[in-house]
Amino acid sequence: MIVGRRKAVILDLVLLAGLAGLGGFLLYRITVHLQYSWHWSRIPGYILRYDGEKHRWVANYLLLGLLTTLRLSLWGGLLAVILGLAMALARTGRSLYRQLVARIYVQLMRNLPPLVIIFLFYFFLADQVIPHLELDLHARQAAPAVRRLLTLLVAEPGSISTFLAAVCSLALFEGAYITEILRAGIEAVDRSQWEAAHALGLSRLQALRHIILPQALRQVLPALAGQFISLIKDSSIVSVISIQELTYQGSQLMASTYLTIEVWVTVALMYMLLTFPCSLLVARLEKRLARRLV
Amino acid sequence: MEHAMNEEEPESDIIIARNLHKTFPGPVAALVDFSVTVRRGEVLVIVGPSGSGKSTFLRCLNGLEEVESGSIIVDGIPLDDNQRHRLEIRREVGMVFQSFNLFPHLDVLENVSLAQRLVRGKSRAEARGCSLELLARVGLADKAASYPAELSGGQQQRVAIARALAMMPRVMLFDEATSALDPEMIGEVLDVMRQLAEEGMTMVVVTHEMGFAREVSDRVLFMEHGRVIEEGTPGEFFNHPRRQRTREFLRQIL
Repeated sequence: MIVGRRKAVILDLVLLAGLAGLGGFLLYRITVHLQYSWHWSRIPGYILRYDGEKHRWVANYLLLGLLTTLRLSLWGGLLAVILGLAMALARTGRSLYRQLVARIYVQLMRNLPPLVIIFLFYFFLADQVIPHLELDLHARQAAPAVRRLLTLLVAEPGSISTFLAAVCSLALFEGAYITEILRAGIEAVDRSQWEAAHALGLSRLQALRHIILPQALRQVLPALAGQFISLIKDSSIVSVISIQELTYQGSQLMASTYLTIEVWVTVALMYMLLTFPCSLLVARLEKRLARRLV
Repeated sequence: MEHAMNEEEPESDIIIARNLHKTFPGPVAALVDFSVTVRRGEVLVIVGPSGSGKSTFLRCLNGLEEVESGSIIVDGIPLDDNQRHRLEIRREVGMVFQSFNLFPHLDVLENVSLAQRLVRGKSRAEARGCSLELLARVGLADKAASYPAELSGGQQQRVAIARALAMMPRVMLFDEATSALDPEMIGEVLDVMRQLAEEGMTMVVVTHEMGFAREVSDRVLFMEHGRVIEEGTPGEFFNHPRRQRTREFLRQIL
């Protein structure tokens, strides 16, 4: 607990002055030596724009990108947790075969660069399998209400296949890290908890669900949340397969407007908008849980 | 259970363990040709030096440990590879551990209620009523909403007893239930155990509390190196031990 407010001391002031000086110097260098002309006023127009035909404000490139990043992260996170949980249970389970499968999965994912996984997955699996599902076609033929809902929650009917491939490849490599986090959590729960549960007649599944996992999750909640924040950030690499998420939109915008610094600073702030609340939420959750477990 | 061969035996003997054998990694055997039967309503106290296999025997009775050979029958159900038998036996056998092993993420009421709902299929309200009654019996009615970490060791162990009783077991196993307690808390737990014995519960108790063994038990069994050295009524056992080894042990511990 922090008692009272801390007073600013001389050292703080010196540091602050130093930082301000550095910032000023950078601005000076960019403006004078690069002869960079700032056009911050154009940025808001790329977030929201006024649609003259429909007479209302609509999301523009950057906001659209942010929403896609959000959708990618949520679906990817959900899928990664499901995959991670299944693999963690396999790794800690009694079946040797399942242990092996989970181990190979984790090793493979952890020893390959995410970018390589995405390319492999996208061109190999996604390109060969997902198009056969003809998701885009189904989506386009769906009722207007369903189409609108799909667009809101997933992606435009025309790009559902690509989006799905991106979500799957994200979930695939984030799932490996989540597997390891959950495994550590499950193994951190004392053996005696299993025994107490078994002695009461609970089956393995009941013990896991009611006794072991709740305790394991509490242990690893910070790590898990950290991984989710990582996932939000890592989602930027699916820009390489032309998913129009925030980073992709940023680079497109930069190429066409040359507002390099303004665009990337805005993109950075928008990522912060997603990740920072997550960090705060986790800190609060941790505090609440800490009160129960001493 | 209808058994044709002997009408008396399955009725009166609730635990029949025959020729149990178990080794741990290492040279020392945990159980050597170990046979014990426990009658319905009997309080059997097992004593012996640490590492003698007392706890191992208890843990084999509800399948927490596997025996290498020998047979265990609890209330007519054989403990074998059949997972259903194992769960059935565990339902009928309550266990109290040395280190309590309460579920730290659940409050006291949930600790006692959970298995009633999951295993016995009781409704939330039913389980709650039954749990509060049991908590009152062990003197902890006011602690229902507390978490285990907020309780003393003695209180935690009494909750653990209530939790085991909530399953309406036919047998209760106590694995050094007072060994992890501060001296001033041992009494409150032994009182609950004594009360339980008076109500006619079948109990197998591994303990170092010789006072409890002398006053409450029907039979005392002394074991060492995985074997039965001597057994008898508490009167015989404490006043006229037959074996030299038993006399040495009693001299050390009393």
